Amino acid sequence: MTITARPGGSFVDADLSADLAAAALDLARRFHDGATLWVISPQWEPHAHHVAVEFVHPVIMGKRALPSVALVEPDPVAQARVASQPGDLLLAVASADEPAVVDAMRRAQAWGVLTLWIGSGPRPPAGAANHILWIDSDDPMVPATGTFVLMYHLLWELTHVCFEHPGLLKPSPDECAEDVCVTCGDEGRVGEVVLEPADTTPQALVRTAKGEEWVDVSMLGDLKPNDLVLIHAGAAITTLESDQQEVTR
Amino acid sequence: MTTHETESTSFLYPFIESEETDAKSLLDDLAASARDKAAESARLQSASLDEYSDALTAAGTEMADRFRRGGRLYTFGNGGSSTDAATLASLFSRPAHGRPVAAWSLAADEAVVTALGNDVGFELIFKRQIIAHARDRDVAIALSTSGNSEDLLTAITEAKQRGLLTIGFAGHDGGRMAVAEDLDFCFTVHSQSIHRIQESHAMLGYRLWSVAQQHMARPLNGAHT
Repeated sequence: MTITARPGGSFVDADLSADLAAAALDLARRFHDGATLWVISPQWEPHAHHVAVEFVHPVIMGKRALPSVALVEPDPVAQARVASQPGDLLLAVASADEPAVVDAMRRAQAWGVLTLWIGSGPRPPAGAANHILWIDSDDPMVPATGTFVLMYHLLWELTHVCFEHPGLLKPSPDECAEDVCVTCGDEGRVGEVVLEPADTTPQALVRTAKGEEWVDVSMLGDLKPNDLVLIHAGAAITTLESDQQEVTR
Repeated sequence: MTTHETESTSFLYPFIESEETDAKSLLDDLAASARDKAAESARLQSASLDEYSDALTAAGTEMADRFRRGGRLYTFGNGGSSTDAATLASLFSRPAHGRPVAAWSLAADEAVVTALGNDVGFELIFKRQIIAHARDRDVAIALSTSGNSEDLLTAITEAKQRGLLTIGFAGHDGGRMAVAEDLDFCFTVHSQSIHRIQESHAMLGYRLWSVAQQHMARPLNGAHT
């Protein structure tokens, strides 16, 4: 048995510190635009609560209170779906193979929510979240040694530094260059079915990052609420399988 | 030349130029700050473990003896420390490996906490639960970055009177916890940062768990030879 765990701070190298910095700037920008930060941690609920209390009731007097809520009901995906609005933030503290988090991160594209994922062990696939803040350690005790606490403490501290630079809180100019951007280009957009088609029309109500819209689904078979579809030019062109992506190292 | 081109046109777009530069320099500053804070966190964790090495071994051993007699662990704190208390309780009750023991956070049940807070006062939310739950073979761990939280101190006093092993995690100068006679062990993390103190509390708690696990894995009749 390991009696001495590796200090969490020793994992924060050039790469991880740059990841934290980029995530903090995005957090600050979204908060500046009125976002709420939703937090899920199905394996370790106290971490979700700690993140929320950190932002809502800062330990440093004078720092502004920011909206953040821990979602700890048995079905965090359902909770995040109904809670989140376009422009919001979703932070998960979870391993890469946590099914509810894998699912929530995929669906966040349809919800218009920016995602952050803190964890350790095997990494999620690249692009599984907008910001992957990862501890590359196989030690299963990492979640209990203060390392995740350090990660979200740093995120909070850096986010508040960003508020001292209001000129930089506008959307990043290269935002539309990212492949997750849905406002420009001819790429398919991810949508989540809200209402299945009524008998007489091939139109389903679908939720996308831009809001809700009626979409032609005549190309697809039966659709149920919460199915994920890919939308192109006003029509749903394919259903996205709910199979989880494989965890890669 | 590129340099000349930049120089010759930059005056036309002063804001674009300066904002791009500023965003990069801000990100560089943030990353450097993250590394500095992380280094301090690691230093403080190691220093705290070193300072309390013997006491942590003694406390963890005593905890193991109590768990072997059927003892339970109660953890408690306020705010972020209540979540760290819950993480610590989970480490004992459902560890990734090793033997699980009964442990829970006294802030976990909102019905109990709000009933006590509303009916008898916030400073009694933990003490009343100690009165309800505690047996003399149990363990109480209180986490407070200031060491001064009234609701924790009254619960510690009650726990001590009932024969529990009492352990405090404090910060700054230890506050009232550092001088509390009702604490069998007090681990004060010497820092002015609440964040860094909490990160060290987690590491100290992990050491307690490790020691307790090691002792619970030994045969009883060989434990004291």
